[in-house]
Amino acid sequence: MITKEMLKDYANKLMFDMKEEEYETLQKEFDVILRQMDLIGEFEGIKDVEPMTFPYVIYHAKFREDVVKDEISTEEALMNAKDVKDNQVRVPKVVE
Amino acid sequence: MSYTEKSIDEIRASLDKGEVTSEELFEEAREKALKYQSDYNAFVTILDKKEEEKNKKTILSGIPYALKDNISTKGILTTASSNILKDYVPVYDATVYRKLKEAGAVLVGKNVLDELAMGGIGTTGHTGVVRNPWDKNRLIGGSSAGSAAAVALGIVPFAIGSDTGDSVRKPASFGGIVGFKPTYGRISRYGLFAFASSLDHIAILTRNVKDAAYVTNIVKGQDEYDMTSLPDDGKEYAKVLDNSVKGKKLFYIKEVCNLENYKNNNDLELIETLQKFHQTLDKVRELGIEVDEVSIDRKLLSALYPAYMTISCAEATSNNANLIGIHFGLRGEGKTVDEMMFDARTKGFSELIKRRFVLGSFILQKENQERLFLNAGRIRRMIVDKINELFKTYDGFIMPTSGGIAPKFDEEIDRLSERYLILEYHLVIGNFGGFPSITIPNGFVNEMPIGINITGRVMEDDIVLSIAHQIESKLGFKNQIAKGAK
Repeated sequence: MITKEMLKDYANKLMFDMKEEEYETLQKEFDVILRQMDLIGEFEGIKDVEPMTFPYVIYHAKFREDVVKDEISTEEALMNAKDVKDNQVRVPKVVE
Repeated sequence: MSYTEKSIDEIRASLDKGEVTSEELFEEAREKALKYQSDYNAFVTILDKKEEEKNKKTILSGIPYALKDNISTKGILTTASSNILKDYVPVYDATVYRKLKEAGAVLVGKNVLDELAMGGIGTTGHTGVVRNPWDKNRLIGGSSAGSAAAVALGIVPFAIGSDTGDSVRKPASFGGIVGFKPTYGRISRYGLFAFASSLDHIAILTRNVKDAAYVTNIVKGQDEYDMTSLPDDGKEYAKVLDNSVKGKKLFYIKEVCNLENYKNNNDLELIETLQKFHQTLDKVRELGIEVDEVSIDRKLLSALYPAYMTISCAEATSNNANLIGIHFGLRGEGKTVDEMMFDARTKGFSELIKRRFVLGSFILQKENQERLFLNAGRIRRMIVDKINELFKTYDGFIMPTSGGIAPKFDEEIDRLSERYLILEYHLVIGNFGGFPSITIPNGFVNEMPIGINITGRVMEDDIVLSIAHQIESKLGFKNQIAKGAK
């Protein structure tokens, strides 16, 4: 059984919140989701299968040399930040 | 017929003969994009000015195209159709965009997607719903919704999208066009905003298979910025399309395609879609391709969708943890950094995306990791192993892309039905195994387009393209422009 409080906890762990009515909709949706998820575990001997995390074994993984190549300017690095001072992103004081 | 409704070969010939210039093509595409925007909402951004061409010697030089708005373009707004990135302007180019620029292709604009590419319906972008150019009351599918609409409307001859579960191949089917997802790693993902990294592919939308081959040729190859990218196979796909396919062997999955499964089903669109699929198989056989019916455990097929949701939502939860609104994106309010991040994410994500993230969070809870997350990875291996075993005998499999036509916006769907769980989600097999996979048009049901899908062995993009090209020639539905184009 998934409660609204559990859903709120899952959302808050990912650092966002939802409206009360949105949690209610989600709780109803979880009834279907949990039944769908039950389809995953219903296989004999599934525990012996190695979980797959990538489509196929990659033999040609490309690593570049650890040297500086492409750089962006300080202005570029900061151009999408909304609050900048002295070439740094300004945030609230951490230590009062 | 306007130039942008033509094939790449035709536009190339007109450019080379001097009948049209790339400037005129850009203007034509731009005007069409603007004209159709209020009806179909294909674009987040339509460029005012043509970018400078770098190269005039490739098949794509001077040819207009569009990019999905989750592909990084330096200096051009890139929102991923999410409020949290509504003002974001990247400082670097995605490799696919860089390669197209270097080839002289001309960017017209950035296409609407389902927010952060996490959806299959084209209705969740922050700038609104994308409508199907064949019928405005229907969705086009997603997440590459605007890209599919732009190609189907004849605004551009090709568009670049991304495909994590079926996000190019499904909207291609609903839009009556071609959607090609090459082998995982064939095209660099550098600069594609990650949704689920182990499933994400850059993919291509066109109106015929040869155009998909041309575009793939230009954008494929190894990239030092994407360690999963594959070395170039050196093949010129457009030149091998007519290689003989006689003697090739395909299978289809009995549990999905056999009409006997649907004896008591009164969904007439589904039945007609499958009948047309089987009629097409007769034409495929006329090419000398052997087509067999193969059985796969129904239980395993029913587990595809939940396994896909489990893996993709869990990976997305992690990938999107960088969207905190501090160094880029929507700035939140609060007395502490944590409060600011919390506020930015609460305001920046839509309800639908939050639901997927909550699901991802649920799956990754310690008590659920073994039962859900690891078991989903095991299901993934079981189905990929099964398909690879079949690929010892067969060169690929052929399936209806969907169980029917594009749904209406308000259509109710039973999400526990077999149609939903299997028929609508078998394309994820292509992402689970990284297999090259292509959708081509297969005619119409109730005046709406339907598609078929061909999926082949990893690395054999050329074979998949040549089989698709030759089937396309038999069917006669290539270079379709949607009814909504006026």
